Amino acid sequence: MASEDTQIRINDLSFDIEGKTLLHNTNLSLNGDGITVLLGANGAGKTIFLKLLTGLLTPCSGSITFEGGNLSIKTRAFVSQEPVILRRTVLKNILFVLEKITSEKSTLTKELLSLMGLDKKEHQNAMTLSAGEKQRLCLARAIITDPEILLLDEPTANIEPNSTTLIEKYLIQKVRSSRKIFFVTHDINQARRLADEIVFIHTGRVIEHSSAENFFENPKTREARKYISGKIN
Amino acid sequence: MNDISEAFVSSLGLILFLDAELLEIILLSFRITFYAVLISSIIGIPLGAFLASTHFRFRNAVVSILFGMMGLPPVVVGLFVYLIFSRSGSLGWMGLLYSPTVMIIAQVILILPIVCCLTFQIIESLHTRYHEFFRSYRIAKLKSVIAYIVDSRFELTTVVLAGIGRSISEVGAIIIVGGNIDHITRVMTTAIALETSKGNLDLALGLGIILLATAIVLNGFILFLRGKYLNTSGSTI
Repeated sequence: MASEDTQIRINDLSFDIEGKTLLHNTNLSLNGDGITVLLGANGAGKTIFLKLLTGLLTPCSGSITFEGGNLSIKTRAFVSQEPVILRRTVLKNILFVLEKITSEKSTLTKELLSLMGLDKKEHQNAMTLSAGEKQRLCLARAIITDPEILLLDEPTANIEPNSTTLIEKYLIQKVRSSRKIFFVTHDINQARRLADEIVFIHTGRVIEHSSAENFFENPKTREARKYISGKIN
Repeated sequence: MNDISEAFVSSLGLILFLDAELLEIILLSFRITFYAVLISSIIGIPLGAFLASTHFRFRNAVVSILFGMMGLPPVVVGLFVYLIFSRSGSLGWMGLLYSPTVMIIAQVILILPIVCCLTFQIIESLHTRYHEFFRSYRIAKLKSVIAYIVDSRFELTTVVLAGIGRSISEVGAIIIVGGNIDHITRVMTTAIALETSKGNLDLALGLGIILLATAIVLNGFILFLRGKYLNTSGSTI
């Protein structure tokens, strides 16, 4: 479990593609627990930043280090905006990510399916689930690996409101206390509901990093103020 | 015209009364096709899946060569296999020329690139969707290749059926390496060619009807699977 002792340090992190810099030299020190919301307009670089944290992208320069903890790449789980569902049953989708299926994991799987409202559909073909159910399944599949860091890339962007509510409730009540969550969104209200701290990204630069309370009450930059007021999408 | 209708009626008689010669030829055709497609699938499907989901230095060159091999002229393959397995050839000592085994080898050379390339195309599109998920969960290469194959099983069934269709209707290569020997290497296509040249149209037509029926059944099955896949976008396993 990521704890308060664990600090995630990001040093001079940058990422380029074909000569275009998508993330400029970023230096941050993030809390090892709670929910960090990556906020910013479309194309700001939130997903790039998240994928660098996940290890799906390799930075062109800089580094990400975990101090006070011994986090390896295996202790991170990533959920993308478009749910990636294997063409098999709901239950088999979850069990697929496990190296070994123990009785403890089987019990946890049942619990997770129940929490996600999928317990009656465990033997159903996962491809036939609704968008929200698929995303809930992806979240359950991420949790079953017991990650220390959970990285969620706009997981509620294309799903129905009741699934959004269920996912948010689950993250706040069950996940936040036991692991670190990075949550990408451009929904201001969702960020208000979920965030402990905010990293605001604008055109590939982290221009603001503060507690959620500070960010929403007293944004320091003009871009953040415009974003909060809905003038930038 | 009368000759044709008489031959047609006579051929139906051969089919309905399960003529021994006809049956022997049909069974040998199916046996050779079965083994050729089985071997091609065992090698071609995992190879196609591996190529589609792995990036290595000469991958594009390997894929280009395999795609080029999809259009191999059967008679050239037949000649090539003949030269290798003829008495003076490098594998002549095996004594396989004019046997069903060498016919299977020739068929595999023709079908393997087709199975491999069609598998590659199917799994490449699945790889686009899955690879980030597999990477983020550190799924082992072997497990991911198996998952690609399992998750594209409907499409891969059509690949196997396409292989069967190609194999059972092949004549150029197997007539060279098999020699069309009665009771040993005579299959439907080579028998049709021979019986037609001899004017024995009833047997040729009988075999032609079976061949045509096989093609229709296979295509029907492909369409059925396609419909099933489109309706469910995959099913439970």
